[in-house]
Amino acid sequence: MTNHYIDLKNSDCILIMGSNAAENHPIAFKWILKAKDRGAKLIHVDPRFTRTSARCDYHVPLRSGTDIAFLGGMIKHIIDNNLIQEEYVKYYTNASMIVSSGFDFKDGLFSGYNAEKRSYNKDTWTIEKDEKGVPIRDYTLQNPRCVYQMLKKHYERYTLDAVSSITGVSKDDLLKVYNEYGATGAKDKAGTECYALGWTHHTVGSQIIRTMSIIQLLLGNMGICGGGINALRGEPNVQGSTDHAILYNILPGYLKMPTGSVDTLQKYLDKYTSKSSDPQSANWYQNYPKYAVSFLKAVWGDKATADNEFGYSWLPKMDDGKHYSVLHTIDNMYAGKIKGFFAYGSNIAVSSPNTTKVRKGLAKLKWLVNVNIFDNETASFWKGPGMDPKTIDTEVFLLPAAASMEKEGSQSNSGRWVQWRYKAANPPGDALSDGDITMRIIDALRELYQKEGGAFPEQLLNLKWDYKTPQGTFDVVKASKMINGHYTRDLIIEDPSGKNPKEVNLKGEMVPSFAKLMADGSTSSGNWLMSGSFEQKGANKMQKRGKDDPTGLGLYHDWSYAWPLNRRIIYNRASCDLNGKPYNPKMKLLEWVGDKWVGDIADGPWPPLADQEKGKLPFIMRADGVGAIFGAGMVEGPFPEHYEPLEGPLTKNPFSSQLNNPTITIFKADVDKVANADAKFPYVCTTYSCTEHWCSGFTRWQPWLLEMQPECYLEIGEALAKELGVKNGEKVKVASVRGEVKCVAMVTKRLKPMKVEGKTVHEVGMPFNYGWRYPEGAADASANYLTPSVGCPNTFCPEYKAFMVNVSKA
Amino acid sequence: MNKQLIKLIDLSRCTACRGCQVACKQWNEQPASITHNFGSYQNPPDLEWNTWTLIRFQEIEDAAGKVKWLFRKDGCMHCTDAACVRVCPTEALYHTEFGNVAINTDKCIGCKACIPACPFGVPKLNPATNRISKCDLCYTRLQANQPPACVLSCPTGAITIGDVDTMLAKANKRVKELGGDANVYGDKFVDGTHVLYVLTEKPEVYEHLPAAPKVADSILVWKDVLKPAGLIAAGAVVAGAFLHYITHGPKTPQEESTCEGGKNS
Amino acid sequence: MKKGMIKATGPFERVVHWCVALSCLFLCITGMAMMYHSLNVIGTLVGGMENLKVLHNYCGIFFAVSLLFTILMWWREAGLFSFPEDMQWIMAAGGYLWKVEKMPEVGKYNPGQKMFFLAVAIFGIVMVASGLIIWFPDGYTVDTLRLMYVLHALGFVVIFAFFFVHLYLVTIGAPGSAPAMFTGWVTRGWVKTQHPKWLKEMEKDGTLIVYGEGKYRK
Repeated sequence: MTNHYIDLKNSDCILIMGSNAAENHPIAFKWILKAKDRGAKLIHVDPRFTRTSARCDYHVPLRSGTDIAFLGGMIKHIIDNNLIQEEYVKYYTNASMIVSSGFDFKDGLFSGYNAEKRSYNKDTWTIEKDEKGVPIRDYTLQNPRCVYQMLKKHYERYTLDAVSSITGVSKDDLLKVYNEYGATGAKDKAGTECYALGWTHHTVGSQIIRTMSIIQLLLGNMGICGGGINALRGEPNVQGSTDHAILYNILPGYLKMPTGSVDTLQKYLDKYTSKSSDPQSANWYQNYPKYAVSFLKAVWGDKATADNEFGYSWLPKMDDGKHYSVLHTIDNMYAGKIKGFFAYGSNIAVSSPNTTKVRKGLAKLKWLVNVNIFDNETASFWKGPGMDPKTIDTEVFLLPAAASMEKEGSQSNSGRWVQWRYKAANPPGDALSDGDITMRIIDALRELYQKEGGAFPEQLLNLKWDYKTPQGTFDVVKASKMINGHYTRDLIIEDPSGKNPKEVNLKGEMVPSFAKLMADGSTSSGNWLMSGSFEQKGANKMQKRGKDDPTGLGLYHDWSYAWPLNRRIIYNRASCDLNGKPYNPKMKLLEWVGDKWVGDIADGPWPPLADQEKGKLPFIMRADGVGAIFGAGMVEGPFPEHYEPLEGPLTKNPFSSQLNNPTITIFKADVDKVANADAKFPYVCTTYSCTEHWCSGFTRWQPWLLEMQPECYLEIGEALAKELGVKNGEKVKVASVRGEVKCVAMVTKRLKPMKVEGKTVHEVGMPFNYGWRYPEGAADASANYLTPSVGCPNTFCPEYKAFMVNVSKA
Repeated sequence: MNKQLIKLIDLSRCTACRGCQVACKQWNEQPASITHNFGSYQNPPDLEWNTWTLIRFQEIEDAAGKVKWLFRKDGCMHCTDAACVRVCPTEALYHTEFGNVAINTDKCIGCKACIPACPFGVPKLNPATNRISKCDLCYTRLQANQPPACVLSCPTGAITIGDVDTMLAKANKRVKELGGDANVYGDKFVDGTHVLYVLTEKPEVYEHLPAAPKVADSILVWKDVLKPAGLIAAGAVVAGAFLHYITHGPKTPQEESTCEGGKNS
Repeated sequence: MKKGMIKATGPFERVVHWCVALSCLFLCITGMAMMYHSLNVIGTLVGGMENLKVLHNYCGIFFAVSLLFTILMWWREAGLFSFPEDMQWIMAAGGYLWKVEKMPEVGKYNPGQKMFFLAVAIFGIVMVASGLIIWFPDGYTVDTLRLMYVLHALGFVVIFAFFFVHLYLVTIGAPGSAPAMFTGWVTRGWVKTQHPKWLKEMEKDGTLIVYGEGKYRK
């Protein structure tokens, strides 16, 4: 979230799209309803009418996978009706910048496409700069090559008729949403967006979010109270694990994972350190070397020195051009290329797409380690349905883990609040916390390397590895302090002007802010974003539980620690005009008073933009200091474009001849079958998690939750059910080209057929929380038997939300 | 001192997350049942001895084709004029100082009289213990000045508890804000319930919710007419007999005839 | 036993009578213990109200069986009115309440006794049926169940009131009646007073059994 949960109450219009907040983020809904009490409009755009829809002012059903078309139409509507927050768009976004002349877009493809590699050369996706290297701007927004005009041109095709026809949403409904949400372009109005897996689970997932970011920038909704783009992250700690690099392509704090060709630290820092020649751009990522070096110091401690590139060579490197997502790993596993696998707190035999491929892949492993709080379909895959244990050689280790309440540590909510959580109970039996399990494994590995040597022992043997209590267990406070970072030597900083006393930092003291991190090895920090989670003398700010809220905006600065630097709303300087006065005086998130910012922790101390000398642009994490309407960072192109899901009901994309996202990786194993617009699989299907169960379903072991949602079901509209002769509560068979699942039909008024490109399209949906392992005798009803192994090319998040099935009576 | 409490369930704020359903089971240590999906999110299908509160799911479609999904937290209404209390032979069901209807399971004899008596279908028999089982508004928590488990668990503030006047005012204010068919349910019958609803639709729209619940006439006949009548009738007979005895005297047999048979002996 | 007494009842009849009577009385008492909270204390005598309920229920079964025998045994004699004399008897209130010049002669059972029998029989059946449904309510609608409670209470009111009438008459109201259900022998005078027609019938049919005569001769 750019904002935070409580801030939802400050919104005037909440667009919930790609999320079922009431069901999957019930506490978020507390604040959403508070906004409604204040008169905010709640809009739910979702293929299904869910418990969220029931509480919203409008529910607008759209066909799964057409969000970019829907939002692209909104961009066009906002531009055509001049609903933009003009000053914001001109000064705080790159709308006024000029796009390089080589950039082009034709028939669904941007310039630089390489069909063979299915990727782009992004050389032309740039902004024109003057001789000093400062972006050229046209504040009239009239230059036909300025981002604003290019944007307008790009979405000219997204007319109401076209969007309505693709999405299946009536024009009335489109206009209702566009007008309601577009009205938040007023300076004193805030609109926010809540999304979750409903957006990320698409082959165009990241670009859907980008489209919404563009809308938020056009309407001046970023960096303000009640605004922002708010990813509602999963329970219990998805935000924290992402911050701490759960993904293969990042290091903690979203630092980049190096590749083989980037073989020296210097090359690495040159490649990823952000550069800007614009004097008004704070260009915060110019500090990248400080964070990278401090990270290396945290990993290898005293062993990391300037002479050995702070141990950079010990960091694992990815092969250039290769990906290591779960989808790729399973593909490799299925191809027999992987020997051992850690399924750590995961149950991929249920949660990953194309279950058949996953389970067959697991059978090709030599060993499998599953760390979990219960046995599951992954650890027991070898005795699952259709498996012959005699033919499977995989050795499986199931390590019992402590549940979240059975261990101490930090937990980050979606609003980036890092809250210290205490242990409520001891883990049962032999179960250990993740920290203890990891520590024992690393200890054993180090011992083996010490004894036996082997290839490349340094990276393990040189680890700074002192996170133990005197009893030999994992010391989570020590680890957290390592993450915050400390001074590796006494560091005395004199004020050159002599006005302030010199700053004395002693070796071993906590680094109080990431602004103090150094690139010379004098500081270490496991995750720069967390620098500041401890006070310099060691007090843990994550344990703070102050309830003061002087602004009345729900910022609660004394409650826990929010990264970065306890800032509750990021890019908050954008909430003020060029002179630092809040756009909405009723919600003074920040105000420039005298010579300082008052309110939230400001996004940097510099004066507002009107100060031509010292003033800085608000989007400090971006090289050019402005919000990116034209965003070259994405794999698919700087402007989001609608592409159909890998499997859909259409043979042709009405917007271009590119049916699917041209940059997705197509896996080619024999089980990776696709059936687009196939009469045998005529219905759109989507999958989701229900309130009562957690992801791949270890909550099935909780009798009270199982009682409420005992088995897999298919939500099916009354019209389709009637057509198929299916009665409520009957068993049905749901089949895709990849597999089939038997479950209970839940015939509902909440799903209605849609008109898409002149055809009637039915959409059905089912939860993915079920599997055969528990309860005893449960059906092998894992929805992911149906889903394809394909994902967003930016994140490789699989397309769980849109694929084609057939439904018949079982 | 008036400690009467009212639990207000504002259905316009309910997201059917069913936190209350679980919290209730957790606090009251009720086991789960083995269930099956019967084509609804609702489960268990009905209130049971081990399910004191239940979110009922109901789909309706208005004349314009607009779909609504109604959620109603069902459970004991804690009537002031409680039919269950009226019919309970042993005073196992009783009103506490807070006005809620609690149950003293030691006194309960499993007679099941309260089951058909309740206009809301709330009391259920636990076959294992042969005791009636139902929501007591977390009486032990109330005594410790704590809100009931369902109230505590509700993330959206749909369930709140407070004194009678505050909650009635809150309910009426909410109904005014909501407009349309919204209405307060619970204050107009059985002398007022200690659970109030803010309904978003007319009461008759909701399944398993009586539009005009009352203590059944049969219970009134039974408890207010026949129960005293039993004593009055018996008393009247005894009195009449006494009167008869002192006015008419006994009907004495003609004793001379007792020896009549003797002559044949 | 005095000579000349007339045999009014057989042992089987008496056993059945007492089975019905005592179980009915027990049901009334235990029923009242449940109906009137102030009488809950009766439950203590049997170890608690739940035991009392169980005893009430099983006693109900005993009552039902006894009632069945009672009805089978007496329905001809006590269940059918004979006209016109029974009507006249009723119009004259059996001579109990005002002075009646000429009473119709009464057979083995007078219409008052018949009414009592019918009350016990009919309301007994009502009590048994409603009681069983209350005991085993599964499958009945709420409305049916609610009706059963009313009927059960109504039956109680009627039976309980009749019980006291019966009690009065067999004790002090009509002295000499009680031995009919204890020893089975009543005085000829009593029969002549209470059931003259029956006496004549027995004499006519030769079914009259007199103590000290025939096989009852000493």
